Amino acid sequence: MDDPPKPPAGSALDTVEEGPRTGHALPVRLAATTLRHPTVDGLRARFGASVQHHAISAGDQHVVYVEAGRNREVLRWLKQDPAQHYDLLADVTAVDFGGDRPLEVVYQLWSVPHRRALRVKCELPLAALAIDSVEPLWRTADWLEREVYDLFGIEFRGHPDLRRIMMPENYAEGHPLRKDFPLRGRFTRAEQTRRALSQDPVDQYIPTELATGREPRIPGDVPLGESEVVEPSPEPEG
Amino acid sequence: MGLDARRLPGGGTSARRDGGILGAGGPTFLTTKLDFVVNWARRSSLWPMPFGTACCAIEMMAAAASNFDLARFGMERMSFSPRQADVLICAGRVPYKLAPVLRRIWDQMPQPKWCISMGACASSGGVFDVYSMVQGIDTIVPVDVYIPGCPPRPEGLIYGLMMIQEKIREETLAEHRVLRAEDPLRAGVPEADADEVAGLTGPFGNSTRQNRVSDVARTDLADRPGDRKP
Amino acid sequence: MAKRTVEYSISRTPEMGAAGGPAHGPLFPVDLAEPELGAEHMLINIGPQHPATHGVLRLVCELDGETVIKVIPHIGYLHSSFEKLGEYRTWNQIVTLTDRMDYLAPLIYNCAYVMSVEKLMGIEVTERCKVFRVILMEMERIFSHLLWLGTTAIDLGAFTPFLYAFQDREKIYTLHEKYTGARITTSATRVGGMMADIPDGWIDELKEFLRVFPRTLDEIDTLLTTNGIHLGRTQNIGVISAEDAVNCGFTGPNLRASGVPYDLRKDNPYYDYDTYEFEVPIGEHGDCYDRYLVRMEEMRQSVGILHQAIERLPGGPMDVPDPHVTLPSKTDCMSDMESMIHHFKLIMEGVKAPPGDCYFAVEGSKGELGMYVVSAGGPKPVRWRIRPPSFVNLSVIPKLAEGHLVSDLIMINASLDIVLGEIDR
Repeated sequence: MDDPPKPPAGSALDTVEEGPRTGHALPVRLAATTLRHPTVDGLRARFGASVQHHAISAGDQHVVYVEAGRNREVLRWLKQDPAQHYDLLADVTAVDFGGDRPLEVVYQLWSVPHRRALRVKCELPLAALAIDSVEPLWRTADWLEREVYDLFGIEFRGHPDLRRIMMPENYAEGHPLRKDFPLRGRFTRAEQTRRALSQDPVDQYIPTELATGREPRIPGDVPLGESEVVEPSPEPEG
Repeated sequence: MGLDARRLPGGGTSARRDGGILGAGGPTFLTTKLDFVVNWARRSSLWPMPFGTACCAIEMMAAAASNFDLARFGMERMSFSPRQADVLICAGRVPYKLAPVLRRIWDQMPQPKWCISMGACASSGGVFDVYSMVQGIDTIVPVDVYIPGCPPRPEGLIYGLMMIQEKIREETLAEHRVLRAEDPLRAGVPEADADEVAGLTGPFGNSTRQNRVSDVARTDLADRPGDRKP
Repeated sequence: MAKRTVEYSISRTPEMGAAGGPAHGPLFPVDLAEPELGAEHMLINIGPQHPATHGVLRLVCELDGETVIKVIPHIGYLHSSFEKLGEYRTWNQIVTLTDRMDYLAPLIYNCAYVMSVEKLMGIEVTERCKVFRVILMEMERIFSHLLWLGTTAIDLGAFTPFLYAFQDREKIYTLHEKYTGARITTSATRVGGMMADIPDGWIDELKEFLRVFPRTLDEIDTLLTTNGIHLGRTQNIGVISAEDAVNCGFTGPNLRASGVPYDLRKDNPYYDYDTYEFEVPIGEHGDCYDRYLVRMEEMRQSVGILHQAIERLPGGPMDVPDPHVTLPSKTDCMSDMESMIHHFKLIMEGVKAPPGDCYFAVEGSKGELGMYVVSAGGPKPVRWRIRPPSFVNLSVIPKLAEGHLVSDLIMINASLDIVLGEIDR
């Protein structure tokens, strides 16, 4: 029976505290020398100081921090420039770190012809949670941005239909995925139940929909409410 | 909670004096025979209303498919219209956004009707003790049978359906008025009142407070009534 | 566009009229001078409880007669806040949440999530684990497509393929159960490995399934692929062009049916997918029929990948032998102090991840399934984001269904292969 291995110098608890060793080899697809991403150089050349920071995350994932005010310009260039051609917007999401840290809006981009990914992040201060919508560039952003609005409260300027998507329209407890929102909601369960069941059927429809559904009208009828006395309408020809 | 005690089998003996549709006088040979036939007919051809939302709905579909075969219980005709259904099988988690829909479907079902809460999420909220999830549909609709599991196996669903059949077997037309009582003014109103729902949010109800990993680090013993102190 | 192999056409016999119906006149003479009734549009609400919406989806349609002018989907009727809940769970505890999102292919979600976390932590799993995860993911692809096939056929009124598909799904349920103990909510993966090694006889049972399954697929093929009703209901319905598909964010079989050859297994390969021999079926017309054909062929290709993966399944450990990540064996714990401490820390505090973020996407059965995890260096994530393929696929339905009939709307909805658990999260 072998002796148990000697614990390394220092207390055994110290090594456990560190967490997993980061020395494992990663299945990198980019060679070790290509820690330069072809897009990032182009971005820096074109947008200069708006490209605030470039980082490599999780071994080979390139992240670019861009000034929030110019996000639509940058993303338009990333989409339309033939050398970049990020035609697939994989994801739009936001991250709330808690405390007073700004929220980050994260765009995951993929270029189908070039087979490259890029992550673009824009930081938004808590006092000014508004950013331009990229829905005119990618229709994908339609629902993805609505979800970010619903769950984080970030307003997307220029979005054609910015309203809640997951929570009901009349949800009054706030924006759930923010860190200051408690897991079980702000109201009591009794209040949540009461509010859920107190809705009128009409509340379930948005104004665009309500504009459609009307009473059917038969041609020749006088619409209700227009006159007290219904005069007989002239006989239709034919 | 949530269960109308009068609908428990054999409950409310004083109601028999009142008389159901057969009038006063208590059970006779003829009424028990009639009960037998009516109950047999009702339990052998229950038309389920599948209110399937999530994973439990897939197990419900598997129960209806060939391997487990609900057709042998007379339940292969899944009635998607509540007007023609007997049993509401709520299979899956129900968020607050869906709760009025569930209540409305329940109200639209004509009597006699029963309700099965299939799965942990429908019975108690399950894994989801979160802002958007109803913590048990018995706060919304009256439930007859709860089927635990995440998801329960199709055999579990079948066992629950058989329990409904047992419940129907115990019914009697003499208690018809009591059993089938439904206050039309309570349509759209949740089944449980505010106090009962508030009782769901007791100190042990929050599943995030259970180990050191959670933000609230409680390493002392939880002080619950009935705990044996060392 | 190329002529299809099978086209739906009505034979023009002398008895047939111009519209394809019988040539005799209508029963009552139509007076063209009389104005048409009901020129107003009608608002119809489909759902959220409806058999044909494949979950709690609500479609509010503006109809002109039977023709859909506009359809507005409403979701959120299954919102279970997985992402919020994930912030209160350790990395390994989240695995149990992942099954409940896409309950039609739970192992794909399990694998995609831990692959993302492992990438964040810089962990490379063992060869055996890689190949086994490939086996599980391809098996789940078949599993999910079978359900899609059954429910789509049943939307058309074809009940038999539903029963055949579910019969084969039962075999996969049995495989799930033999490995994990649960039929649907498998929770089979852990950070750094799997919950357990492969039980004896499991691979043989999988091989038996693979021997029998192509025959079922052929039977369903015979029932549907050249069936006139099916063709009439699916050809030229819900057409979307390749550029629109990419711009709208379509991924997976929906995108490939429009002609865009984007498959993450080929374009951004993981777990040595570039060493497996398989083809990715690409459609041409971008309609429901092509989506059907693409998925049918994908199932056959998955069978091929499974055979290859079973051949190359190596021995060795299933879990990474790193005590900071994987629980040490009980024998070690009881005999070795360091192992006991590792075990204690892993159970009490969970695996810790370094600060950073990672977006990892796999080719799920419904499309690009991305998991974005953000860590601030601790046992729990700061943010766990799921990029759900069905969410983005569904958002295109207003564009696809415009101008079609209501019954076509149902067919389009079915052909998108959506699962509300993942849409609403």
